[in-house]
Amino acid sequence: MTKSLIYSLIFHSVMILLTVLTLPFMIRQPIDLPPIVSVELIQISDKTNIPFAPKARKIIEETKKKEERVVSEQAPPAAKAKEKPDRIPLPDEKKEKKQIVKKKQNPEEIEPQIRQSSEFEKKEIVDTNQIAALIDKAKEEEAIKKNKIDKLTQSNVKNSFATGLTLSEEDALRAQIFGCWSVPLGLPYDEDLLVRIKLKLKKDGTIMKSEILDHQRMNRPGQKFYKVLAESALRAVRLCQPLKVPPTGYEKWKDIQLNFNPEEMLKG
Amino acid sequence: MTFNTNLKNIFLVIFTTLILSACSTAKKSGNMDGDVYTGKETVKYLASGVPDRVFFATNKSSLTTASRATLRKQATYLRKNKKLNVTIEGHADERGTREYNLALGERRANAAKDYLMTYGISGKRISTISYGKEKPVNPASSTLAWSQNRRSVTVKVN
Amino acid sequence: MKKIFLTLTIYFISLNSLFALIEVDITRGNLDPLPIAVSPLHVDVKSGEHEGIKVKELGNNISAIIEKNFKNTGLFNPLKKEAFVQKPDIAHLKPRFEDWRLIKAQALVTGKLLVKDGKLKVEFRLWDLTAAKEMTALAFTTTPANWRRVAHIISDKIYERLTGEEGYFDTRIIYVAESGPKDQRVKKLGIMDQDGANTKYLTLGNELVLTPRFNPTNQMVTYLSYFRNMPRVYLLDIETGMQEVVGNFPGMTFAPRFSPDGKKIIMSFAEDGNSDIYTMDLETRVVERITNHSSIDTSPSFSPDGKYITFNSDRSGLQQIYVMRSDGSGVKRITFGTGIYGTPVWSPRGDLIAFTKVRKGRFYIGVMRTDGSGERLLTENFYQEAPSWSPNGRVLVFYRETKAGAKGEGFSATLWSIDITGYNERKLTTKTDASDPSWSSLLSK
Repeated sequence: MTKSLIYSLIFHSVMILLTVLTLPFMIRQPIDLPPIVSVELIQISDKTNIPFAPKARKIIEETKKKEERVVSEQAPPAAKAKEKPDRIPLPDEKKEKKQIVKKKQNPEEIEPQIRQSSEFEKKEIVDTNQIAALIDKAKEEEAIKKNKIDKLTQSNVKNSFATGLTLSEEDALRAQIFGCWSVPLGLPYDEDLLVRIKLKLKKDGTIMKSEILDHQRMNRPGQKFYKVLAESALRAVRLCQPLKVPPTGYEKWKDIQLNFNPEEMLKG
Repeated sequence: MTFNTNLKNIFLVIFTTLILSACSTAKKSGNMDGDVYTGKETVKYLASGVPDRVFFATNKSSLTTASRATLRKQATYLRKNKKLNVTIEGHADERGTREYNLALGERRANAAKDYLMTYGISGKRISTISYGKEKPVNPASSTLAWSQNRRSVTVKVN
Repeated sequence: MKKIFLTLTIYFISLNSLFALIEVDITRGNLDPLPIAVSPLHVDVKSGEHEGIKVKELGNNISAIIEKNFKNTGLFNPLKKEAFVQKPDIAHLKPRFEDWRLIKAQALVTGKLLVKDGKLKVEFRLWDLTAAKEMTALAFTTTPANWRRVAHIISDKIYERLTGEEGYFDTRIIYVAESGPKDQRVKKLGIMDQDGANTKYLTLGNELVLTPRFNPTNQMVTYLSYFRNMPRVYLLDIETGMQEVVGNFPGMTFAPRFSPDGKKIIMSFAEDGNSDIYTMDLETRVVERITNHSSIDTSPSFSPDGKYITFNSDRSGLQQIYVMRSDGSGVKRITFGTGIYGTPVWSPRGDLIAFTKVRKGRFYIGVMRTDGSGERLLTENFYQEAPSWSPNGRVLVFYRETKAGAKGEGFSATLWSIDITGYNERKLTTKTDASDPSWSSLLSK
């Protein structure tokens, strides 16, 4: 009697634990994956066939160029005897810290390119033991939530389970939209500019219906940047028709939400 | 044996000192003292033996020893010719922003004026004007030209 | 046990299929300029003649100006006219969207004009070709002589509709027109449309003139003149050509600018060799001293709300940029990088300060936030300085000088512009050599 009670308790608590841990998968953080991801994936996965390497390369080069443009030299001044006593003390330390943080981030943005291939060799092993993957991912998910800096490797694996598309399919879709979206360069980069578009697709990849969430925001005074961004996103989506979609699994991808966020492009 | 090594060391020290001092004199030779022009090429004369200008280092308006010597000669000359009035023109080289160069030229002109005044020349006889980088004496884009352009020139008014 | 694990797996998978909406983050796009087709404006057959204007070609000329404006921004790619599918009059009424999309255009500009009874009436429409609908439609009436301004105003309206930013095409640039050998330059005040047209000279070149700036209504200019060999700040009325000296200062005044309300002039005054910043109220003639320091204080520039002033000072030993309140209190240094910083100018949007930096013998134009952080160098050159902002705070105009040979040969001064993103560096067309440019605000405001 007690044995089965214990088993039941364990079974139920595991179920609850899994449910609780699974739900966060649904609320995803916006993740940034550099275009090179799609290049690597296409070679390994044989599900979809997207020839986007040349465009991805162009985007990579432009990103690299943008990274070179950023020059910030903040060295504290040498003390001068001439200084008058009523001068306001200057925040030298703050500036030094900012510089150090910035230096750390830069190497991380470039490294993911190298890490990619090794992550995929790992994936094959993961597939054969799904339970181990579930538990591993549970731990990783919490780490990601706390860590604002995006770690490419972990989020890739997470995506595959959460979205129902394989990584190649999702990144193929992303690569397509990258090519069609002309980002309006005039937007201010310190404003909250996220445009979410819900699409209903037909089997051939054409759009049946498109809807901008936060539609009312477009017509509010002072939100003309949002309107411009939303229009550019709609243009991108319409230009990209018909979208290259997987031949099967229509139920999976017939409803898609695209989150357009130009923050990264504008910061460059 | 030790005596020999000591001798060798002493010679080494003397030799090295000679070489090093030779190097430092090379800086002063030619027509530059550090960054300051010391040549005679662009110099005109108010009278025999009285150069009309002094030169400055980049971004500086301080007078060098040579500049002060020149200005003393000018002061002597002005004391002898009590009816003579002058304008001191301050100039800058082109390697800076325009507005700051105007201010720098003004500072340089006044540095020369103030020095003349300490030698008894009345301020009423000396006016100043800055031309910033607008009137170079040497239009080339070279360090020599720039050093020749960093100047305060005393010009007779009457 | 295996059964338990199996049930777990099935439960987990089914949990996933409940939330079937796929979300894909799009964080990158392309920076390609937007392909836009600018159809020549249709000239109404009822149009009459007008002296000095080729009415029949007006439609083409206006669209050509719009195209050039767009091309110069680097944000738009105007498509070649040879590919246009519809005639201007029909396109303006009802464009066949699919046909225009075939030439890969995403936006279309059409319009028509009528010259009658001494008036020019222009109407234009902006179409979104992918959405197949009209985005904007506007009409203007003016004198036919103003046809260039109409083209610039239309460009501004379209630019604003497509980018969310105000445009900067209906503006003028004042500058110093230079000529002659390097050590004997003749300098005059020149004024032109931002596209290089309508150049006029405001002074004769008999005396040295430097650093001209517009007032907020673009009707007056303040500048430095060496008239009668006395360098002073002057005021000039563009319409009448009348000049007057600002104030009655016993020494050189220079580096003048207007306050954002146009009521004061802020400048440097050099007293006994020391330059400090002063303001003078143009109406009351009251002079106020703003800085009082033994260092050189110059190149003052107000923030657009008039509350702060950024300026150049060497009080730390070398030229650096400072910010203070408009009464002179609260002086704070904001530049600490290696090198020297000069010519600070506050953006009309209030968010950035543009500057010149010199480091290891190279000159840079850059922008930084108003607290000195986020320094970004946009371009490097042998010699360049003095950036000035476009009225929408997105573009900077500045000037460059080239290296000169032993006799001054090879020397030239030219005007350039660059986006604050660092893209789209281009040379401006001027009739002569040019320096010290300053951008007006929008003329139509």
